[in-house]
Amino acid sequence: MQPAIDAQGLCKSFRTGYFRPPKEVLREVDLEVAPGAIFGILGPNGAGKTTLISILTTLLLPDRGRAAILGFDVVKEAGLLRSRINLAASNAHFLWCLTVEENLRFYGRLYGLGGRLLTGKVEELLHLFGLVPHRRSTFESLSTGLKQRLALAKTLINTPELLFLDEPTTGLDPEMSEHIREEIVRLNRETGLTILLTTHNLREAEMLCTEVGFLKGGRLLATGSISDLQTRLGLGDHVILTFKNGAPPIDFQRLPGVLSFEVIDSQVNLVLDRAEVRLAPLLEEVTQQSPEAPEVRIKEADLEDLYREITH
Amino acid sequence: MRLPTELNKIWAFAARSLLINRRNVFAIFEMLFWPGISIFSVGLLTKFLKLESDTVTFVLIGAIGMNTIQIAQLDLSYSLLYDVWSKSLRHNFMAPMSLRHLLIGTGLVGILRGFLVFVIMSGLCTWLFGMDLGRPGVTALALFLAGMFLNAAILGILVIALVLRFGHRAEVAAWAFSYLLFLVGGLYYPVTVLPEGIRELAQFIPLTHFLDYFRNFYGFPLVSSSPLLWGFSQSVIYLALCCLFLRKTLRTALRRGTIIKMSE
Repeated sequence: MQPAIDAQGLCKSFRTGYFRPPKEVLREVDLEVAPGAIFGILGPNGAGKTTLISILTTLLLPDRGRAAILGFDVVKEAGLLRSRINLAASNAHFLWCLTVEENLRFYGRLYGLGGRLLTGKVEELLHLFGLVPHRRSTFESLSTGLKQRLALAKTLINTPELLFLDEPTTGLDPEMSEHIREEIVRLNRETGLTILLTTHNLREAEMLCTEVGFLKGGRLLATGSISDLQTRLGLGDHVILTFKNGAPPIDFQRLPGVLSFEVIDSQVNLVLDRAEVRLAPLLEEVTQQSPEAPEVRIKEADLEDLYREITH
Repeated sequence: MRLPTELNKIWAFAARSLLINRRNVFAIFEMLFWPGISIFSVGLLTKFLKLESDTVTFVLIGAIGMNTIQIAQLDLSYSLLYDVWSKSLRHNFMAPMSLRHLLIGTGLVGILRGFLVFVIMSGLCTWLFGMDLGRPGVTALALFLAGMFLNAAILGILVIALVLRFGHRAEVAAWAFSYLLFLVGGLYYPVTVLPEGIRELAQFIPLTHFLDYFRNFYGFPLVSSSPLLWGFSQSVIYLALCCLFLRKTLRTALRRGTIIKMSE
């Protein structure tokens, strides 16, 4: 199956002054996203996330490398591609003096819609994003949450096959962020829409993304599903064994599946490869060698651990 | 390329420009106030100098032409500036539209506003200062107006290109370019009174030839033998060059990331 996004060797640098050398923002980025996936690009500020998304949305020309979105080259077939994708960025910006409905109509027309088709689509989006009561409010009079809802509504005006979301919940209150996340998942499930999003919010990525990629210093350090990356990086799950009468003298490193361990008083912190498989035999071994059965707590490796491991 | 789709994209910019003009009280202000001030001050000067009727028309047609060009080019110039000010530029450029949709859509609204200014200012000049605008006839008036709108289009496209290249600081260029054009193009005087060197330069400005053509109906001698031919051919060449420059600037903006920077 043809990937929704297929980028190879993307490089981009910007001049920061006439006498200064260009600053490399993207370095040999390879990225492949399957159709129907929600793919998250994670990375610190200045990692190159917006530059990458800008190239993929045809708003920026790469210096080197190539990228095909839905089979269309982002440079040579930008015109054809633009009608099939859309973008919502953090901090929604639209023309301040136009109303919610007028802004949607404007962008609908830019995508070639007109007449009943445009009216129907605008009405559908106003209802979908709860914007009906605000349809005659000018953009400048909207709250941040409503502005972001309008931004998301605008992204669906052309019924895109691929959606780019650049930090879609930045600046929103937790309730609104949750609502937007639910909407993203619903869109993906119901329409099979491929979504590429960038975020700082690791919990958001964990909740939404089927796959993630870590970008740092312009390099895509690792990509894959969260569980794949855990295995590949040997992060494992954290298992904490607490003994009432102090930790027994067991060589935990020799026990099956133990990646590392640390003894602090009566507590043993183990990093275990795939706790769901390894824990039972490990506990059996421990209880054979120890006079008492320990209390067991498990903390699965999360995206934060992955992020720390990869980007630091 | 389907015609209804193309028309929808053009209408997107035209409808937006109309809405902005309707909402913005200053848009109406700039259509009436500045042209009014200009017409009154020049008209009163002609009264003070006790000029003959034909000379009054000579001077006032310059003032009317200037205001028509200024207002008509504003819609084109502002078409991009509004997106720069509202930081919504990237939404436009990632839609499947091209610069021709933007230029035609906003250009049509510019022509409409420029025509209104022309009609209002001509009415005022006829009523208050006895200007005789009817003598050249409808065809000559239409050709003169077409010339003014072509000049406005050249200015507007140039400003759009400069905004894409230098950002919103380039908005001052909208005024600077037009006033330079008016100065050299012989707005209130025949270009023969210009200093040597600048007089020759005036021959390369289409406005010079359109004013020359229209003033000839009032007995003023032609500076060039075929003013309409010169005016229209120069306009078409400059328009084509401006469009090429705009395309090149857009390509540069896509390479340098200007659109992204102006949207943040």
